[in-house]
Amino acid sequence: MIEMKRHTKEEVRGLRLLPFYLFTFLLFLAACTSIDCPVNNRVRTIYALMKADGTPDTLNKDTMWIWTPRIDGNDTLVSHQTQNNLELNYFFGSSATTFDLPISYTQPEDVLYVLVKNISGTQYRDTIRIQKENTQHFESVDCQASYFHTITAVSTTHKIIDSIVINNPNVNYDQNTTHFKLYLKANR
Amino acid sequence: MTKIPHISSSISRLTVSLLLLVAGIGSTKAQVTKMFTLEKDSIPLFCGFSVSFDLVGPAMLLLNDHGEYEGALRVNLHDQWFPIFELGLGHANHKKDEITQLTYKTTAPYFRLGMDWNILRKKHQPNRMYAGFRYAFTNYKVDIIRENMVDPVWQTQADFGVEGMSCNMHWLEAVLGIDAKVFGPLHLGWTVRYKRRLFHNDGTLGATWYVPGFGTNDNDQLSANFNVIIDI
Repeated sequence: MIEMKRHTKEEVRGLRLLPFYLFTFLLFLAACTSIDCPVNNRVRTIYALMKADGTPDTLNKDTMWIWTPRIDGNDTLVSHQTQNNLELNYFFGSSATTFDLPISYTQPEDVLYVLVKNISGTQYRDTIRIQKENTQHFESVDCQASYFHTITAVSTTHKIIDSIVINNPNVNYDQNTTHFKLYLKANR
Repeated sequence: MTKIPHISSSISRLTVSLLLLVAGIGSTKAQVTKMFTLEKDSIPLFCGFSVSFDLVGPAMLLLNDHGEYEGALRVNLHDQWFPIFELGLGHANHKKDEITQLTYKTTAPYFRLGMDWNILRKKHQPNRMYAGFRYAFTNYKVDIIRENMVDPVWQTQADFGVEGMSCNMHWLEAVLGIDAKVFGPLHLGWTVRYKRRLFHNDGTLGATWYVPGFGTNDNDQLSANFNVIIDI
């Protein structure tokens, strides 16, 4: 009889805890969710201007434009670099040694037209062809879908560009790497 | 008149005891031996089964675009040890996100296998406090679709997505829980779980979002269950 009375008290105590349980339950449901996307979600290629001796090069007083042909046939200016370009000066001062360019989502090959004009007004045209493999990349439903790339080959027509070499073939969110080393001819 | 201790003081005492136990694991052989030693009394080793189902997962499904249905079968060994098998069905249907336009779908089962220990000093009473662990696994397929994606520079169509991408995950869980007898064979209880990913195959897109039974994909995850438990 005594044992039965004790049991009843414990059952009552269990019932008294019910509001606590419901509160916990509701508290859990109200818990917020977090969005966890990469801070840098730009996929771009970084180019470093180099001298033949392996030291960083600059355009000095030269100007360089880069275009790319689009699917509709109109060329698009994707970079316009001059010694007075404020944005590049922001990063590299008046002697920019690196610049970045977009890379296409799904094309197997990107074609870039390069125009370099020296201080006397002489223009040199060149073409860069970048072959690549494109990989879909997903982080979360809260983050924009993107494409990562693996550069498989790069070539140039060697008019003003002496050579271009792949430094890092993996193009992703990492903007602290150099993907290409671009060697312009010294006698431009 | 029997003095019933306050539940808050019991919880505080037990939490401190648990922390000390965790801190001391491996250092005091006596403690470990005591943990696995059967308490000497008249209660038999096998004390029955209980089945339970979780209410948080279905509530999440009602209020959100992902969640799970989950049930468990637990064996009561001497009110001390509770081997447990949990089986669930995880589901996510995130339709065309307003900002990213991404659709994510998956429906897959998962299971967990583990053990709970009743860490109350007095084992043979209707209310219990548990510490335990689980090993869990799920094998799931996902659809991730982003329609009408256009390259902003080259203006080419760049449709994005996969359907039926096979993925899997193994993970471990550390569990802390309480259940209290309400009346008859009915108990209510909750568990808080720290989940730690062990091995995973996220398919070909780099990552997945919702993993059935685990939650949103990450190295670790914290979650809670609210269980309705019936002794059988």
